[in-house]
Order: sequence, then structure tokens, then C-alpha cells
Amino acid sequence: MIKKISLISIVFLSLTSCVAVKEYEKVKLNDPDMQLSQSDANKMKSTFQSYREASSGANGGKTGGGCGCN
Amino acid sequence: MVAKPAVDVDVINVIKKINMKYQLLFVGLLMLGVSLKSMAQDSIEYKKRVLDQMEIKILSSYYSQDGDNAAVTGGRGTEELTDFAPTINVAIPLNDDDVLTIDASVSAYTSASSSNIDPFDGDGRADPFVESTGDSEKDTWFGFSANYSHSSDDRNTIWSVNSSFAIEYDYTSIGFGGSYTRLFNEKNTEVQLRGNVFIDFWNPQYPIEFTSGFNPNIFEFTGTTNFAPDFEEFVDTDRNSYNVGINFSQILSKSIQTSFISDVVLQDGLLSTPHQRVMFADIVDTVVEDFTLGNDVEKLPDSRLKIALANRTNFYLTENFILRSYYRYYTDDWGIDSHTFELEIPIKLGMKYTIYPSYRYYTQTEADYFNGFNQALSTDEYYTSDFDLAEYDAHQYGLGFKYYDPLTKLKVGGFGLKSINVEFNQYSRTSQNFDAYFTSIGLIFSALK
Repeated sequence: MIKKISLISIVFLSLTSCVAVKEYEKVKLNDPDMQLSQSDANKMKSTFQSYREASSGANGGKTGGGCGCN
Repeated sequence: MVAKPAVDVDVINVIKKINMKYQLLFVGLLMLGVSLKSMAQDSIEYKKRVLDQMEIKILSSYYSQDGDNAAVTGGRGTEELTDFAPTINVAIPLNDDDVLTIDASVSAYTSASSSNIDPFDGDGRADPFVESTGDSEKDTWFGFSANYSHSSDDRNTIWSVNSSFAIEYDYTSIGFGGSYTRLFNEKNTEVQLRGNVFIDFWNPQYPIEFTSGFNPNIFEFTGTTNFAPDFEEFVDTDRNSYNVGINFSQILSKSIQTSFISDVVLQDGLLSTPHQRVMFADIVDTVVEDFTLGNDVEKLPDSRLKIALANRTNFYLTENFILRSYYRYYTDDWGIDSHTFELEIPIKLGMKYTIYPSYRYYTQTEADYFNGFNQALSTDEYYTSDFDLAEYDAHQYGLGFKYYDPLTKLKVGGFGLKSINVEFNQYSRTSQNFDAYFTSIGLIFSALK
């Protein structure tokens, strides 16, 4: 487990060592379709998926609350 | 005339020099103060508001499904269901740094399988593949939530708190939580910690044959009258969910950014659904008209630990094409492992219009406690015939369309139309006869300055 955590930490740290992109260079990254958060339509979709599928979480949608029993 | 003593002249000169020094010091401090104040004012003047104007989102979705494995009828029966869910979401900038978001939702559904909690209140013969009537055929869910967020002056720290309340006939949910977000490395790296707690309460609705007063002798039936040897009402009807999550986002280049997302959820309490029947293989079936009565309702453990790990990476391919990718691995202590792959390709048609073809693949293993219709044993500790917990693969195809105008040229009252989003999705399971359709429309308005 410690090895896995160390490996994941190294991967994360190596990502942060990438060359920083300046604010004025973020035109493409600031495009609304490049956002890493879920769109509103996807949030609604993930709600019904969390009802019909056994898994949920790590998608910006519901992680608990509600019976999902319909 | 008396000449001033030389020593007095020296003293006066010294005093003058000291005064001069103090004056210079005073002027210096004054200039420093003015300069600092000016800098502070500059930083306030140039601090971008987190949200410029109030935004109103009007969202609406229509969901329909059908299948042959309803859990209410023990894993065999119609799953026909429709759900209409309008939502209004209002984001209000309280000042430069703080935003209050309020969300109100309604979800009105009709469910053929839920109608078969009592399959004997319809006009025809009781049948798991035929919708019955009565109160359990439809219900309305109401949900409210509020979120308050605060951003630091340099926009590198954001914290938020939230609360929610949702109610329907047989279920009530109260939730609260918060998040802390920190940006580093010229806003190229972002770490977010999240936490949420949901305190839920069941108002259990049991299948009609388990309620007092039900007498199979008034119907045409085959089998035994002792059809529910194991049924007992649930004593603990609470369900609690505790969620902690970490997000790590990183800009990889001028056109690629990625995010690692993790959620750990611990649930305890009544995790079974009280109106979902189970028929045992080792008990003689009792069939009333064309409907098999339950031997018990599903019994699932009173705790569940869920772990979800995901990655979302977006690529700006060209001026017209963006690739959004998503992968999630999920595991829990009920024996379910799942993988989710999703690709979406926004295609820009000019400055304001985008279409969104998408594909999603989902696969899961079955829960340790799952059995098909009439396959569970009465000697088992836990059992369910809910096919949502079975092993299956699913494919989802989607197509969306978006109109986006950040300048809000189209005015409606005191608001400008910022975007319209319409989306259609088709979902089907390969190993079960189950199909679903999902349509959504979203309008975003921004208050005019």
C-alpha cells in the first residue's frame, strides 16, 4: 500500500513539475468545453446513471442521499 | 545689542537638522503610505469578480426506460418508468468574492414496477408485466439545495459550504458538506478536498402481501398460503452516507488538462429497498392470478464501503475539435467492480454553435448477494433480485447541441440569454433486455448590467 501511495505521489509531483502555462496562454484551456467540471446536462445524466448502475462517485454527481429506488 | 552665544546657534542648527530629518522621514512615510494604499486600491480595482452578474439556469430532463427485470416483482416484470424533472438554479454574486447558489428541483415519475407493490388494485388480472394502478404508480420528489462559496483575493483559495433537503413519499434526505480548493503553480495545479454527509429516513412501503389484512384466499391462487415465511418489517429505517473526496487537477500544456478524482463513501443503516421482493428457490411459489407473491423483501448488509477513482482529460485538438475523455474504476465491499469509459467530441460550428456526439461504455460485476428470479435460498443471510446489481455491460450513445453567446445579445426582460443546450441519449444493456432514453434541455440567463 505504501509503495502504491508513493508511486501515485511521484506521478502527481511529476505532473506539477511541468512548465507552468501563463494566464495569457490559457485561451484554449479557458474554452467552456475544456472545463474539467461536469456540464449541467452531464450532471442530470449522472443522476439517472447512479440510480440504474451499482457504482457512483468520482464524476461530480451524486455520491449519497436519496434512495434511487424507482 | 547682545550677540547670541555661539553654542545657541549650534543647538538651533542641530534642532533644524533633526527637524529636517523628521520632515523627510514624515514625507517618506507619507509617500510610502500613499503608495501602499494606491497599490491596495489597484489590487481591489483589478480583482475580477468571481461571478459578474446573477445567473439563472432553467434545466429540464425527461427520462424513460423499459425492461423485463423489475426488482419490485422479484427480478421478473416490467420496468417501464418515465420521469420528468425540471430544475431552476440561481447563482447570486454577493460581492466580488462570494457566490450563493440556490437550486430547486422537482422530479415527477410514473413507474409500472412501483405500481406492482400492490398488483391487485388494477382492473385486470395481476401480472408482473402489466402496470397496476393506485398510489404507488406515481410519486413526486422535491429537492432543494444551497451552496455558499468564498474565493480569496488572489483567487488561489476557495472554500464552500452546502446543504440539501429532498423528500418524496417514502424517503427523506438531509445533506450538508463543504469543500476546500487550493490553486498553485500560477493556477496550473489545483487540489480540492470535499466532504458530505447525508442523513436519510425511509418510510417503508412493503409489498401488499406482507401487509396485515392481505388474504390470498379471496383470489384465485396456486401454491401455499404460507408464502412469506421469513418476512419481518425493518426496525432500523435510517440510512446515512459519509463521503470524502480529493480532486487533483493539472494543466499539462496550452491545450491539455487533466484531473484525477477520488471518492470514498461509507453508507450504513437500511440499505435494502423495502418494496423489492425476493422469491426463494427452496419455497413453493404462491401464484395469485398471474402474479408470484414474494417470499421476503430484499435483505442487504447494513453497511457498504464504496471507492471510486477517475481521470478526466480534455484535449483541444483544433479550433473546431475538442476531445473530452473520462475513465472511472469503482469497487465496493459488496463484490461489485466496475469500469466506465466515456468520450465526448465537441465540434464547433462557428463561434456560437457546437454539437456534441458522445459514447459511454459501462461494465460491472454482480453483487455477492444477487440472484435472479426465484433463485435465492431462504437459508442465505443476504439476498436481492435487483438486476441493477447484476453483472452487465451497457452502451450509451448521445448527441447534444449548444448555442453559446457570452455577450448575451438576445435579451429576455432584464436578462440576456447566454446558452441553450439540448441533449439526447440512448442507453441499453447488452446482457439484459433494458433500454433507456434521456433528453435534456438547459437555458442559462445572465442578468444585464
